[in-house]
Amino acid sequence: MRFWDGENEQMNREELEQVQLERLQSTLNRVYKNVPFYKKHFDALGFDPGALTSVQDITRLPFTTREDLGNNYPYGLFAMPLRDIVRISSSAGTTPKPVVVGYTMRDLKARGTVTARFLAAGGVVDTDIVQICLDPGLSNWGRALKEGAENIGASVMPMSHMSTLKQLLAMQDYKTSVLITTPSYAMHMIDVMRTTDIETSALALKAIMVVGEFLAEETRERLESTFSIDVRTGYGPSDVMGPGIAFECMEKNGLHISEDHFLLEIVGSDSQAPSASGEAGEIVLTTLTAKAFPLIRFRTGDLGFKMAGTCPCRRTLGRMSGITGHTGEILTIRGVKVHPAQIHRIINRNAEGLSPRFLIHLYKESYLDMIEIWLEMNDTIFSDEVKVLEATLKNLREQILEMLGLHVSIRLVEAETIDQYAKASGGVVDER
Amino acid sequence: MLRVKNLHAYYGRIKALDNVSLHVQPGEIVSLIGANGAGKTTILNTISGLIRSAQGDIKFEGRKIRGLSPEKIVAAGISQVPEGRQIFGPLTVLENLELGAYLRFKKKEKEAISSDLGWVFQLFPRLKERSGQIAGTLSGGEQQMLAIGRALMAKPKLLLLDEPSMGLAPLVVKDIMNTVSELRKSGVTILMVEQNARASLTISDRGYVLETGRVVLQGPSDELMNDSDVKRAYLGKDYKTFWEGRERV
Repeated sequence: MRFWDGENEQMNREELEQVQLERLQSTLNRVYKNVPFYKKHFDALGFDPGALTSVQDITRLPFTTREDLGNNYPYGLFAMPLRDIVRISSSAGTTPKPVVVGYTMRDLKARGTVTARFLAAGGVVDTDIVQICLDPGLSNWGRALKEGAENIGASVMPMSHMSTLKQLLAMQDYKTSVLITTPSYAMHMIDVMRTTDIETSALALKAIMVVGEFLAEETRERLESTFSIDVRTGYGPSDVMGPGIAFECMEKNGLHISEDHFLLEIVGSDSQAPSASGEAGEIVLTTLTAKAFPLIRFRTGDLGFKMAGTCPCRRTLGRMSGITGHTGEILTIRGVKVHPAQIHRIINRNAEGLSPRFLIHLYKESYLDMIEIWLEMNDTIFSDEVKVLEATLKNLREQILEMLGLHVSIRLVEAETIDQYAKASGGVVDER
Repeated sequence: MLRVKNLHAYYGRIKALDNVSLHVQPGEIVSLIGANGAGKTTILNTISGLIRSAQGDIKFEGRKIRGLSPEKIVAAGISQVPEGRQIFGPLTVLENLELGAYLRFKKKEKEAISSDLGWVFQLFPRLKERSGQIAGTLSGGEQQMLAIGRALMAKPKLLLLDEPSMGLAPLVVKDIMNTVSELRKSGVTILMVEQNARASLTISDRGYVLETGRVVLQGPSDELMNDSDVKRAYLGKDYKTFWEGRERV
């Protein structure tokens, strides 16, 4: 069994609950004092942070949503003055505004600890060579993983824009022992490998750690048998927190939650009452140690459930399932959270007058998520001239890439094609 | 060892503590830091039973102690070294120390008491040299040592130290802090209140930061020392205090 900070990972439950209560109370005291958004919301509810006497009392507090993050763009939810912020991370978010997260030096250190726990539980040690292959949309996580692996003392190849073939060559030549990527990209690598003369036996790989997407058991088995390695997964909401706030241990039976840094609730469909253990619902997270960007009851949009019982690995940190789905309209594409309205806005912006109808078609190609936008031909956006038309489409693709960090293709379709799906414009045809 | 949950305390209508939770593990040195009036001393006085009107849970070694009388709390294994020493000035050093073992004296632990006296004299050789001297004539540092020694004579498991550096010269502060570190090695757990945040964070394992009766931050001492809020408010970010200056000499 490998631990990064065994003392905290094996804290007895009574002590852990005391630590959670202390940290929750001081977090609430800080946000009430420093973040007008929270003060306003607490006051409106008549909630006094001095009245929270148990961790369970948190259900009395309001949720924080992605809309709240958008409305407080850029620094409205920061609880520290900018002079104390040492890093500003921005990601696309799911609203018109990007999500901006600040970190103090202490926050970066805490994130490094949490990420190192995830990696150490997956078997990463200081002699490992760790290769990180993630889409640009997950670049914040790429940095967190790099720092976590460096904490352990491993040699890290950070994210880069290499093609899959080059990544594979690097994996072979540099003797990568741990690959960190998404489940679908790992599967895609197997596909690409077949077209090369790289043999799995020539690889030094011992583990693949996957993040960003749901890990299906079939995918795990396929990866494990193809490479003769172990596959482990971690969980985090990609826009605001680290990649391994919950992580699998050697038992591969649920994900241990770093409960000394995050409070995890599962909220039922009526979105108020907490779900019973084992019942699926939306994952709601509260930060317990974040100084610069504390979040109270953040609705992740991810679905999962808590698991009961203890784990033979001796970690006392409670466990959750992997992600079983998502709420509402938010899509996870290659690990990146996307709201269809984001694409809608870009198309509207480029249309003169009435904007064309469109559908978002999601499918898999060699295990990778692909996005194709089916755009209705009409003359508000399109010119008869091919050259102009191509320029418009290229422009649209670039704007979407810039906004979401995802490559998309655009197909022009007749009105009937859109009609046959009986969906409103902006609807999603998910064939993954 | 000590678990405090949701502690509230009032002075008249003024709220001195607002929902304070903290804990101390066996063998730890834990610091409470914060400005004047933040509630640090109130926490100690509530734990030791001097303030009894508070609300909340205080458990020591699994047993509820809130509401017990101060002497019962001393008997349970908690001794307090009060702010400003409060030694018995007209009495001798030895008499002061013996008074610290008052509860045990009644229980006829005479032999154990005399061996503890030896232990205290070993910790503070100066007190041995001056055991017959009238306590009021000791220097400030010696009086602080006597106050700590007196508390130790009750053979506490947990020592509550209130502003041990108050009014002392920098070199003496360093002496006292070294002694507190030594105490931990001999098995005494320490919860300490200090205005001199740098001195106390230097020797402690963890700390809690209080503001107007509320805990606003907690963590390992080294993290707090590097925390920008703490630096600005309590460590004097832009100048070296005497404590750090002395360390470097």
